[in-house]
Amino acid sequence: MMLARNTQTNALHWLGKQLFNRDDPAAFFDPLLETLDPMLVQSQTPARVEQVIEETADTRTFVLKPATRWAGFHAGQHVSICVEINGVKRTRTFSLSSSPELWSEQGLVTLTIKRLPGGLVTNWLHDHLGQGQVLGFGEAFGDFLLPDTPKPVLFIAGGSGITPILSQLETMAARDFRAPVTLLYFVRTQQDVIAEERLKALASRYSALTLNIIATNENDKPRYLKSQDLKAVPGLKARHVFLCGPKGLMDLANELLHQQGVLKKDIHNTFFSSAAPTLSSDLADQVLGGKVEFCKSNLEASSEGDASLLEIAEASGLKPRHGCRMGICHQCSCRKTNGTVINRLTGKASGPGEESVQLCISIPHGPVTIDV
Amino acid sequence: MKQMTEVQLQELEQDLDTIRDEVLADLGERDARYIRRVIRLHRALEVGGRVMMPFGFIPPIFVAATISLGLSKIIENMEIGHNVMHGQYDWMNDPSLHSQTYEWDTACSSDSWRRTHNFEHHTYTNIIGKDRDYGYALLRLSDDKKWHPAHSLQFLNYILLSVFFQWGVSLHELEFERIRRGEVRLRDKLPFLRDLLHKGSRQAFKDYVFFPLITLPVAPIVLAGNLGANLMRNLWSSTVIFCGHFTQDAETFNEKDCENESKGHWYLRQLTGSSNFTGNKWVHLLSGHLSYQIEHHVFPDLPAHRYPEISGKVQAVCRKHGIGYNTGSFGHQYSTVVKRILTYSLPDPLRTKLVGQPT
Repeated sequence: MMLARNTQTNALHWLGKQLFNRDDPAAFFDPLLETLDPMLVQSQTPARVEQVIEETADTRTFVLKPATRWAGFHAGQHVSICVEINGVKRTRTFSLSSSPELWSEQGLVTLTIKRLPGGLVTNWLHDHLGQGQVLGFGEAFGDFLLPDTPKPVLFIAGGSGITPILSQLETMAARDFRAPVTLLYFVRTQQDVIAEERLKALASRYSALTLNIIATNENDKPRYLKSQDLKAVPGLKARHVFLCGPKGLMDLANELLHQQGVLKKDIHNTFFSSAAPTLSSDLADQVLGGKVEFCKSNLEASSEGDASLLEIAEASGLKPRHGCRMGICHQCSCRKTNGTVINRLTGKASGPGEESVQLCISIPHGPVTIDV
Repeated sequence: MKQMTEVQLQELEQDLDTIRDEVLADLGERDARYIRRVIRLHRALEVGGRVMMPFGFIPPIFVAATISLGLSKIIENMEIGHNVMHGQYDWMNDPSLHSQTYEWDTACSSDSWRRTHNFEHHTYTNIIGKDRDYGYALLRLSDDKKWHPAHSLQFLNYILLSVFFQWGVSLHELEFERIRRGEVRLRDKLPFLRDLLHKGSRQAFKDYVFFPLITLPVAPIVLAGNLGANLMRNLWSSTVIFCGHFTQDAETFNEKDCENESKGHWYLRQLTGSSNFTGNKWVHLLSGHLSYQIEHHVFPDLPAHRYPEISGKVQAVCRKHGIGYNTGSFGHQYSTVVKRILTYSLPDPLRTKLVGQPT
């Protein structure tokens, strides 16, 4: 039965390819369907904005209803969304801030998004994305996941780094996760607390949760994370620690946790990036740059320093397909036919042969040939 | 060709680059809305044509269905496919409008087109011996090519090429004339032939097998309508393309003059080797704005609906540098193309006696 249906789908897909000259034949009718209802679009999974909630002066939660074919997610995962701004499709990644239960019960998910100063997409979302509008919604990914069985947990969040943790806390409360849970949440001032109502409601109905909101910039002297904060967490060494926040907080937390004897394997980091990803420090002494040959375009360029292949290609006048520009969405994946590149995020060198690389996070390490 | 010094050419380059930069800085929602509107029109015409076709046993519906499908193919090939593949909409970052992955509704595969048209024709425009689009290695259109008795029948060849234009274009990269001369081995063309077979049979399957078969009782009507729509597209696109470079005053160049040429020289060659024709906005849409062939050749990757807007500026640059701007009504431009095909079918002594020396 299943096999028969698959064969039928495959045959239809093959036929569609012949008739419409495209690998996604279902999307052929999108331009017409879109005018009837943007939720009928096939080229991407559409999601409609159901509600916009003001969290703080610069943070909003968007309640979204993705098309039912969306595959769902685990608490702590992220999605890439696609919006069109002044004619250009832009892809950005955000953490889901709701629980998978809300999706399975009501078909809703939420994204909690803070305006980044100078950020093109976050500001556009705040200024232009309203109820009833539709955006493109990718499948969820990420391994910032809760343990399968209840174990003591410590969350350390900073600013909008609370978003994946909101999803996790909601999930733990809904599943009655029976183990001590502590949240240390750092915000600049009390006015910057995101989802304050939700957090307080969680703390009152989910007794395992200890909530500690710390304002860093309310006094003359900043009040950052300190060892006492960690010492005050009962049974710290047995805890699974989840960190999400700005780099300064993450580095500090990792160092202090190490001092307190928490093992590296028990610490889960997830980064959120406000700007282009920075180079990890062990890259600094590598020789970067080199001659880049874009063999399909018959073009050559040379680069010095940490310019990515995408930047080099664009500086040479090429317009390779791209998305997030931070190594997440793989829209810019291309064949490297020759040469070595260094992954900007991991600092690791690739092999020398033919393989798929992401242009936006690959830095040439000597001469490189790319099939662009 | 007009002779210009390197300094003059540099100034020409700057003047044209200024026009280009202005458009690039202004690209945005308006252009995205335009191409999406054209795509919606294409989908509506194609769906309309295919749905009406089985009812073609009623003669007015047959005509409407054939014209609808024919127009849809013309718009898809000319205003969408050709322009998207030039990278005019790459900046939109929309995977369905990306120059390197778009596949159009004609027998020629997009990959082959990107090589022969985007690269060869647009780089070596009208250089005899380098631009194989000049006469398609089939017609003698200038006295750079020696007359041969077979040329006397070339008008017939031209008619055949126009009628079967999509197949002619799809075979272009085979370089049959070079294989015959032993410059290229057939064996090296096998990958191309495999692609051609794949794309060509896909197109033939769709229009001549699948749609007639699913409407079996009226299969002959659907087959005839689909043939008609393809014929319509073939004749129109061939005519538009011939008006682009083979009009009376469109110049040709020789390889030696273009070796190591500057960007300014390339611009000059595009301006003098191309020709426009006038018309209303539907003529421009259906020609994929190749009615603005000059603007297209100077700026092949600017969205084509911008050409009418910048045409005045391009003409002003031409006037400033004393370069001719070749335009005229569609009827006039096409008549000079026909005249060129006919007169160059004659041996040179007879031709010069009839029409005088070419200027």
